[in-house]
Amino acid sequence: MNIESKVTSAMEGTTHTLKAGVNTSFAVFVKTLEELGGSWIFFMRIIRTFRKTSGYKEAIIQQIAEVSTRTIGTVIFAGIFVGAILVLQFDVMLRRFDAQTLLGGLNTSATIREIGPMIISFLLAGKIGAFTTAELANMRVTEQIDAVESLGVSPIQYLIIPRFFAIVFSSVVLLAIGLSVSVVGSILVAQSFSGMNMYQYISSIPRFAGAWTIFEGLVRSIIFSTIVANTSTYKGYTASGGARGVGKAVTEAAIYINVYIVVANFISSSLLEWIHDLVYWFISLAERFFF
Amino acid sequence: MSIRFESVSKSFGTKKILDDVSFEVTRGEVLFILGKSGMGKSVTLKHIIGVFAPDAGKVFVDQYEVSAMTSGARMDDLTLVRQRCGMVFQHPALLDSLTNFENIAFGLRSKQYSQKIGRKLSEEEIRDVVLEKLSLVYLEPEILQLYPHEVSYGVQKRVSMARTLAPGPEYLLFDEPTTGLDPLSTSSINALISELSRKLKVTSIIVSHDMACALSIADQIMFLDQGKILLMAPPKEVISSAIPLVQDFFKETMELLPPDWSLEK
Repeated sequence: MNIESKVTSAMEGTTHTLKAGVNTSFAVFVKTLEELGGSWIFFMRIIRTFRKTSGYKEAIIQQIAEVSTRTIGTVIFAGIFVGAILVLQFDVMLRRFDAQTLLGGLNTSATIREIGPMIISFLLAGKIGAFTTAELANMRVTEQIDAVESLGVSPIQYLIIPRFFAIVFSSVVLLAIGLSVSVVGSILVAQSFSGMNMYQYISSIPRFAGAWTIFEGLVRSIIFSTIVANTSTYKGYTASGGARGVGKAVTEAAIYINVYIVVANFISSSLLEWIHDLVYWFISLAERFFF
Repeated sequence: MSIRFESVSKSFGTKKILDDVSFEVTRGEVLFILGKSGMGKSVTLKHIIGVFAPDAGKVFVDQYEVSAMTSGARMDDLTLVRQRCGMVFQHPALLDSLTNFENIAFGLRSKQYSQKIGRKLSEEEIRDVVLEKLSLVYLEPEILQLYPHEVSYGVQKRVSMARTLAPGPEYLLFDEPTTGLDPLSTSSINALISELSRKLKVTSIIVSHDMACALSIADQIMFLDQGKILLMAPPKEVISSAIPLVQDFFKETMELLPPDWSLEK
């Protein structure tokens, strides 16, 4: 084989690999768009049905009780460590600049605003999300959902809406509990490992974590809870193909929930920062004019 | 009063499941749909209750065009159609979290059923209906407080039938009702279907592989193959059909039937 044909063959190979890569990336992109579109249509269907109908109170309360009791232990246990990890990380960095007095404020702010909601949402995705997807997917492949439909009852009304709102509501409450516990956990670790006293730690919190921090944490919690609720119910509801289909639905739900949460965290961070600046600009403007 | 398919086609991906299928079942008739697996028998049934919408063609239940009711305001009409059609699925499809009693009462407690009859049934009335339907499927009240997983598969199938019968459907749709059952339960379920169809005088469409049952119960037998209707005729004509697939089904059945069997019996 001469050098010219070797080069041609290598180029053809590279082109083929590139084409395959582009095709795969395009297929993944299209699939992701399809999933996003499907999730959005499903979400709108839930909201539309909820607005049109009534009488969910009892079913939602029952689901909330089930979801909360199933998850609270894990959230509390993990919450302690979320705060603890951050304390250790911040402590190492702040020690270098002799700024350990800022530890409480920085840690609490980061826990409530960013890391806490994200990590606890991942936990909820694994615990509540996976359970909900598996339960609904099993109902789908064993024709239980078709049976509900065939009896003239809307499965969205009977099965999805109570689960969806129970997940959103319980997740927000569980996130609040998890975040509170993580603050307590961080205080304990700061005392034990960093040698800070409790008063010193707590006194620096108001400098960094105020009403806006709590607002940001709350907004993120609602967004992430909605992602967990919508994706897990959507993947379960649309599952197909027997036991294998149930497994596939649960895996895909876990992947999509985690990806959506990370992306939503980035977008919400940018937007909330922008809103924060805008609000404070208005406040300073109002102060200049009225005071 | 009928169920009518007009040139219905349906594909899943590249696979054509139903290809220009047209037929009609009139009031009180018992239609058996036979054919090999994956030939669109269950898909045909699910078109009737609007779980699937056709890619082309129309499906009518009485005056309602089910194929045009898949979204928006027409969903309310679809609920009306579904209340007329009771479907027994391949699996019992009972709700795991409810007792057998709650499963049978499920349709009776729905808002849609209350709207249909113009009032809400009292708990006593619901209990009476549940017990009546339970006796129709030859089950004892003792199973009512048990959960589906606490009773045998055969009992689950019967509970599923009672659930379907509870709201008083005008059409009964059976999707391979004897799948997964032992021979004794199979023959008792077949006898039950025959009895229900005759006793309740409802129009029935039964998807099955059971030619023997079809020959003894059906008014019409339809063979589906490659998405098309191969034959739709009364049992007598089916027996004398020269179509190879029909003959194969019949030969297999004859081997299982007693030597003195005849259609008149």
